[in-house]
Amino acid sequence: MGFRELLKNKEFVILDGAMGTMLQAKGLKMGETPEVMNIERPEWLLDIHRQYIEAGSDVIYANTFGANRHKLAKCGFSVDKIIGEGIKLARKAVEGTDTLVALDIGSIGQMLEPTGTLKFEEAYDIFKEMVIAGREADLVVFETMTDLYELKAAILAAKENCDLPIMCTMTFEENMRTFTGVDISAMCLTAEGLGVDAVGVNCSLGPKELYPVVEKICRWTKLPVVVKPNAGLPDPVTNEYNCSAEEFAEFAEALIPLGIKVIGGCCGTDPAYIASLKKMLDGKKYVQRDVHIPAVCCSATDVVVIDQPRIIGERINPTGKKRFKQALLEGDIDYILGQAIEQIDAGADILDVNVGLPAIDEKAMMVRAVKALQGVVDVPLQLDSTIPEVMEAALRVYNGKPIVNSVNAEEKSLNTVLPLVKKYGAAVVGLTLDENGIPKTADERFKLAEKILHRAMAIGIRKEDVYIDCLTLTASAEQENVMQTVNAVHRVKEELGLRTVLGVSNISFGLPSREIVNHNFLMMCLTSGLDLPIMNPNIASMTATVRAYKLLTNIDKNSVEFIAHYGGDTSSPAPKAEKKSDVDLPYAIEHGLKGEGAEITAKLLETTDSMVIINEMLVPALDKAGEQFEKGKIFLPQLIQTAGVAQACFEVIKQKMLADGGSSVSKGKIILATVKGDIHDIGKNIVKVLLENYGYEVIDLGKDVDYQTVVDAAIENDVHLVGLSALMTTTLVSMEETIKLLRANNVDCKIMVGGAVVTPDYAEQIGADFYSKDAKQSVDIARQVFGN
Amino acid sequence: MGYGSTAPDDSILSMMDECEKALLGVIKPCAIYHVFDIQPCDDGVAVCGTSLVLKGKAVSEHLAGCVKCVMLAATLSAQADRVIRRYEATDMTRAVMADFLASAAVEQVCDMVDEQVRNEFSDHFQTWRFSPGYGDLPLDIQGEFLDVLQAQKRIGLNATGNNILTPRKSVTAVIGLSDHDIPKGRQGCAACNMREVCQFRKRGDHCGI
Repeated sequence: MGFRELLKNKEFVILDGAMGTMLQAKGLKMGETPEVMNIERPEWLLDIHRQYIEAGSDVIYANTFGANRHKLAKCGFSVDKIIGEGIKLARKAVEGTDTLVALDIGSIGQMLEPTGTLKFEEAYDIFKEMVIAGREADLVVFETMTDLYELKAAILAAKENCDLPIMCTMTFEENMRTFTGVDISAMCLTAEGLGVDAVGVNCSLGPKELYPVVEKICRWTKLPVVVKPNAGLPDPVTNEYNCSAEEFAEFAEALIPLGIKVIGGCCGTDPAYIASLKKMLDGKKYVQRDVHIPAVCCSATDVVVIDQPRIIGERINPTGKKRFKQALLEGDIDYILGQAIEQIDAGADILDVNVGLPAIDEKAMMVRAVKALQGVVDVPLQLDSTIPEVMEAALRVYNGKPIVNSVNAEEKSLNTVLPLVKKYGAAVVGLTLDENGIPKTADERFKLAEKILHRAMAIGIRKEDVYIDCLTLTASAEQENVMQTVNAVHRVKEELGLRTVLGVSNISFGLPSREIVNHNFLMMCLTSGLDLPIMNPNIASMTATVRAYKLLTNIDKNSVEFIAHYGGDTSSPAPKAEKKSDVDLPYAIEHGLKGEGAEITAKLLETTDSMVIINEMLVPALDKAGEQFEKGKIFLPQLIQTAGVAQACFEVIKQKMLADGGSSVSKGKIILATVKGDIHDIGKNIVKVLLENYGYEVIDLGKDVDYQTVVDAAIENDVHLVGLSALMTTTLVSMEETIKLLRANNVDCKIMVGGAVVTPDYAEQIGADFYSKDAKQSVDIARQVFGN
Repeated sequence: MGYGSTAPDDSILSMMDECEKALLGVIKPCAIYHVFDIQPCDDGVAVCGTSLVLKGKAVSEHLAGCVKCVMLAATLSAQADRVIRRYEATDMTRAVMADFLASAAVEQVCDMVDEQVRNEFSDHFQTWRFSPGYGDLPLDIQGEFLDVLQAQKRIGLNATGNNILTPRKSVTAVIGLSDHDIPKGRQGCAACNMREVCQFRKRGDHCGI
């Protein structure tokens, strides 16, 4: 019987207990690589496996948990060898029994970007190598995972490189999250969406403490639920676990009514615990769960249930936005992040992400944007592209369960987009249009919605994961059809029982006072059943309409959300330190008044040339701050604060220049990078802000930057000043190597270096042209190099 | 943040409060430690019952006369990195503040471990915390150090291929335990690899360890 049959036919599936605990009892030293014992002590493994089989395990885990190329690097054995031997030993142990062998895979031991340096794609390769080496197993287990992103790489690697069943378990703490903050329901939604066979929890805590975790898992998945707890909690000093084999089984028994299917033991357990479990389970019946998973999407940390109107922020989209296009052309990810955070602060629950621009590599930019966004924001993303390759790339790197925007009723679209939605376990927006365009009547649009739904369900997409967009047409051009959209929304919601989504702002195109039209149209649609308005949440009246709707329909119980947002209106406004009229630009900069600085700049631009503002107001004010910083009169936070104001002023100038059809301001291009191996980038980022505010165009290559990337960027962008940063003595050598490579390629550039451990002597020794002791000095160096 | 004895003004202080709140709202500080017998060996100090050798002169001197050592690992969790990253995208002033605050916070977590060890081993004298990368104790023991403590599984602490701890606001260190008083002279700048660039030393000051 294979694992899938086992899940179907047996009341409960019993796993094994701890491997590490058993190996240590046999003499493995702490810190040694346990998987090497497959080669050095095969008799240990055979004995351990046999003890577990004897105790009643239906599945044993081969000793392959940490056999990845990163962890094995120090021991000199290949992944193939260690895993191959591990599986062989387990196979030998199960000979003559019905026990199955699992290829056991734990987390890699390095964190993924952006907290760590491991790339998602690299993680995939590491898992792929393990999966291929272990194909002789009966199933693949991913366990002790704390990062959903790593788990996703693992599941994809298994799905795409073998046909074995997959079981995955993560490690949750008492706060119901993993160490990286992953939410239980986010794990369930994502793993089930990707098509695993069983999901659950291992390690973490004892069976008693895991009760609420297991309870939540059982509510959020239809899959068989796995529980592999520790033997209670460890003593902080002795590391001994506090739960006996009998107590372990007793606490585990309490989990049965929740509807668990698969159970075993983790740290601190041994064959006695498994035997005890077996005894307890004897004659017990599996409890069938009645689970309904609602319409929902999620990031790794936030789960958004579409049980009430949720705002999808529409601002990450270059259509009709010169400044956004400019940011895409310059690869300015910070601008996109800024747009994201502004929308979330204004009330967006989900963000639409569209970076389509003919002049750029949309796929590369989409991947970059998705990765950067999920590194800083918690809200789920709606991936928006018309190109299937771009969509697939985005779905691959997304951490969670996203929304795909969009499929439509055209055959070509249905055939290319829906399989992607299914493979990656996403939700999807279906547009009610087909080869013949957008139908005029609500009735025809309803029919297309039906068609999309049927096609989605035919390939196994859940009904709840199909959201229908009945499409807004502009009232100025097709006034007679506005109500067709509203009626179609109503019918799709009521008759098909689907969630509805609608971009609302287009309604007012070509009309005056668009805001009035927009928020009234929004209210009409909400009342007719709109769940997901795609809109600009930064417009107060729009967000307010959604909040008011929730209040008036008794969704926002006791008006809690409404009062939280608007209840402060009657209290005294935040005291403004100065009267506006007293503030000029230098004053605003000196005192860190961002909003005022931007306002004054906008006003000045009506009468003054932008370069005059930069050279005669912004730069002298920054110089003054720099001087005071050097003299120790102001300190780092204030220096950066002044730069922050200048940045806001620059932003206004940039917008104006783009609106006038000019190019942006640049006194010279500078590359900044934190060198290979180093991930301390705050110093580099401070330098960046300051340089930008003196009008330099900074190409920020980020942290942990390959030598060659610096060289390529310098040549490609014709850059004549390169700034390198390193904070650790161990990464200084990367600084030296980067400089060597720049010189070897005859790149015509000056090089400045800085960072905590860099000294002037060292800078000279490794062939840098300048040593920069702080951000202020980097500006002086730039001025010297560019002669401005 | 370089203020030294100068008091930051109110607006800076209130921004710091805000950053502190943002951090405290999401971080999940945790620490683990374990006590081992130690034995001097040819290239440093062997940690008994493990495969780990603390290599180098500096750590040998640090642990001279000690019979046991406490290996500790502490982290503020990945959520701290996320707060800082988010500020970096929108407001560098707050990013810098949050970064400094988080660095101070993880030291506080270590101080609490110090205190616990002091209570638990009140009959021993203890050294200050000595971390991989100090003096000639190589940073590349970081991985094995974490393995011995099972830090990855127990507190979610990892090291990159270049031995940088992630989450970033984390510390690993050893504390020596001795039956005899430890001479004061062994604490201080001589063994510190930041001595060339130390902001405290530049001011003629001392960081306190």
